[in-house]
Amino acid sequence: MNADQALAELRELSSQVARAVVLGEDGGIVAGTDADATATQHLAEAAQALVAAAGELHGTSGDVSRAEVEISEGGFFVLREGGRTIAATTGPGPTAGLVVYDLRTCLGSIDDKPKRRRTTRKKADEEASE
Amino acid sequence: MTRLLRLALAAGLAIWAWRFFVRGREPHERASVAYADGSELVLEPGSPEFVRLASIARTVLPS
Repeated sequence: MNADQALAELRELSSQVARAVVLGEDGGIVAGTDADATATQHLAEAAQALVAAAGELHGTSGDVSRAEVEISEGGFFVLREGGRTIAATTGPGPTAGLVVYDLRTCLGSIDDKPKRRRTTRKKADEEASE
Repeated sequence: MTRLLRLALAAGLAIWAWRFFVRGREPHERASVAYADGSELVLEPGSPEFVRLASIARTVLPS
């Protein structure tokens, strides 16, 4: 499924996730749950800032695979896998493990490559045999 | 046996009361970062590193 479908499924499955955005390898926005593009951009920038700040604690920002912050206002989670980044906000007192699991599942379900059509190959095989 | 059951009940009640009245009222704040090499950092609330990450999070969370 594509990123928009994956985010829609995430919103359906996880009642804790309030807003989410998926970023590509270049840091560009792939999909977001906000209807407002400015809000999506703001969330993406915050995710990148969190990764950069978290990376400075260790070495380089490229090494960060997960960053999560829970404060009284809510939770902010950023997960990076396979070059993609997903960031999400939750309300106060989220179940962190569950949110991270949902985000990981969402990120893993995104498939950019279109599936090969079986019928095309079958037709080609038929033509070759004739 | 009855005494043991009463003791277990009292201990359970004390733990529940502590969690409900004391721990439940503390502000729950935490921050952690995991890295690709498998290491993980848990930041102490109030530390400069925690404050920095929390300030970034606040920009996207409703006040």
